Amino acid sequence: MWKSLRLSLLAGAALAAAAAIRPAFAGDVTLLFWPGPESEAMQKAIDAYNAGQGKTDHVTVKQLLFSRQGYFDKELLDLAAGSKDFDLSLVTTYTIGRYAPYLAPINPYVTPEMSAQFAPVSLNSLSYNGKLYGVPTDISLHFLYYRKDLIAKLLADPAWQKTYTAIAQAKLGAALTPKDPADWTWQDFEAAALFFSRADNKASPTRYGTALQMKDLIFNIMLWQATLVSNGGNWLDAAGKPEIDSPATKTGLEIYKTLVDDKATSPASISYEFPETNEAFQSGQTAMILQWNAAYAELNDPTKSPVVAGKIGLAPLPAGSLGHKTHVHSLGIGLNKASLHQADAGKFLAWLATPAAMTVYGEAGGTPPMPSVLQALSTKRPEFKLIGNYASQYGFVVKGGTAPYALPVYTALADAFSAYWAGQVPVEKAMAQAQAGMTAAMAQK
Amino acid sequence: MSAAGRTIAFGQERRAGYWLLAPLIAFLVITLGFPLATDLVYSVSTVSFTALWSPHWRGLGNFVDVLQDPVFWQAAGFSLRFAVIATVAEVALGFALVLILNPLLERHGWLIAFLILPMMISPALIGIMYRLMLNDFVGIIPQYLDMIGIDANLLGPQCVFGTLVVIEVLQWTPFALLALLAAYQAIPAELVEAARIDGGGSLSVFRFVTWPLMLPALGITAFIRFIDSFRVFDQIYVLTGGGPGTMTTSMSLYIYRAFFEKQQIGLAVAASLLLLVAAVLLLRVSLTRLLRNEPA
Repeated sequence: MWKSLRLSLLAGAALAAAAAIRPAFAGDVTLLFWPGPESEAMQKAIDAYNAGQGKTDHVTVKQLLFSRQGYFDKELLDLAAGSKDFDLSLVTTYTIGRYAPYLAPINPYVTPEMSAQFAPVSLNSLSYNGKLYGVPTDISLHFLYYRKDLIAKLLADPAWQKTYTAIAQAKLGAALTPKDPADWTWQDFEAAALFFSRADNKASPTRYGTALQMKDLIFNIMLWQATLVSNGGNWLDAAGKPEIDSPATKTGLEIYKTLVDDKATSPASISYEFPETNEAFQSGQTAMILQWNAAYAELNDPTKSPVVAGKIGLAPLPAGSLGHKTHVHSLGIGLNKASLHQADAGKFLAWLATPAAMTVYGEAGGTPPMPSVLQALSTKRPEFKLIGNYASQYGFVVKGGTAPYALPVYTALADAFSAYWAGQVPVEKAMAQAQAGMTAAMAQK
Repeated sequence: MSAAGRTIAFGQERRAGYWLLAPLIAFLVITLGFPLATDLVYSVSTVSFTALWSPHWRGLGNFVDVLQDPVFWQAAGFSLRFAVIATVAEVALGFALVLILNPLLERHGWLIAFLILPMMISPALIGIMYRLMLNDFVGIIPQYLDMIGIDANLLGPQCVFGTLVVIEVLQWTPFALLALLAAYQAIPAELVEAARIDGGGSLSVFRFVTWPLMLPALGITAFIRFIDSFRVFDQIYVLTGGGPGTMTTSMSLYIYRAFFEKQQIGLAVAASLLLLVAAVLLLRVSLTRLLRNEPA
């Protein structure tokens, strides 16, 4: 009896020990991610891997979700602390330089042949010092969303055209005529926004022409900086020195300021970000918006946006002196340098970089930056075709946009420029503050 | 017991006291002492996320930078104004509600559960709720204002401060109500009765009985609310992000942004320590005054 009891106890202890050390077993890979549409799509891809290639690789992947609010701060602290609790993690264009010291390059797992399937801009946006630090899984850029019905009437109705020209002459000093949105310059965008605002045109079918995003937030600067780059500006000059106090910056800032001062965008838009701009457009009280590609599915969904679904046209952001431009950044999956399972995690990354994996991810709601996949899925997701085209034709990553100082620079610009748009400081002071903030951020060790 | 015996007994008692205090002191050293020591080191260092374990000596440079940063002073001014106005409003409203509702609450105590509901909601959630309610396309408040002919942008530069104070007051007045109600109901009935027998009217009873006896509770409630309002973060972070511009950047938000978004760890820690010193001074002054005023 005592022997049986001892054996039972030993077996129990062995089982408990096995359970306790299970996380350290080879073959278990943990992906640190944020909750939301990306993690839901990623779960579908992980399920496909675990049920298929994962069995051959003898690898099982699972997700560990942190809350979205403050996600990058928490992820950075864990990476910097050398956490071994996760093997893979979310990386982005604007955090890649900051995270690179704690990530392992993935070049050994993602061969040049595999990389060639991706849009080059997405690979560049996740590379730092010549090394690739993430498999790009989502691409983000911007569209000009407009109401097709309203623009069609503007292009056909002589009375509207006459009013349009009169408003453009009075407010912008140029007798402009309406054009197709695909051919708009920033001045055409301003003229259309003024025309569709009741403050300037009592007969406007919408309350405001547009709904700009001017909250003190880094993502709003990413959207705005198309006005900068399309007019020949950038963060840094050819020598790598800050040049955010350039004439192109002033031009870009004043486009927004003109529209808010003339009430072509709601005065409340100085507190707007992504959701508020969506709501403005969904309500049918705004004729066009500059918005992230991720908004399209919701805006064109008849159950979520009954007023505007089916009436939405997409065009590139208006052109500056250098033509159309759009900020591009990527989300991707990187490899934790402190991971104890790098080889197993690398097997998953190698699978993730295939068209088959990206198709599963794209069908589940992701936006994979792989032109062949975007093309193949464009019947289900019509915006995909444009994303591929715009990324390759108009996409840019600002000089310094993947550097370790990218996030502090975005923050400094958001502080300074939102203060100008809110009327807190004049444009010269905002530009000087941005230049000083950028210089200080770049000087940080 | 002889004098020597008394001295020995006192010494033993004292040693026992130290032993009893030891767990608390150890707990404080671990939970407060280590972070404080780390903060002190970081506040006089140049340090970054990539070199958390190897800070470089910078002397008082971080403190100088903080004190020369106009946004720091703006944030301090915002937090101070916000805290003072919100505290006065909450305590005044809370006290007024106690005086008005006490007869009802004495009979129907369960009503308190409803009255304190707002403070049960997380401030971040309050921020999200008001973000929706104040939206000028789908929000209920701008729609009502529009119906009565008011075209106000409640999150615009002219109104944003007032809007944030009102949101704070709506959420936290129930706390003042609860704290002051307990103090009010603890006033001995015989005192009020005696005052009335002596011919005191309602105003006299309030002035000479209720008010003096409520003063400590009013002071403590105001103190707690002031501290809490001064370090406001959640609803501002969600609702305005510190804007428009930097107009609603509070001290907590300033420190958060310096630390996480600008990666100025030394500067953020130096600002935190300055805030800590200010809080300790305020605590010292307030407690001294409160204890001095406490009735024997």
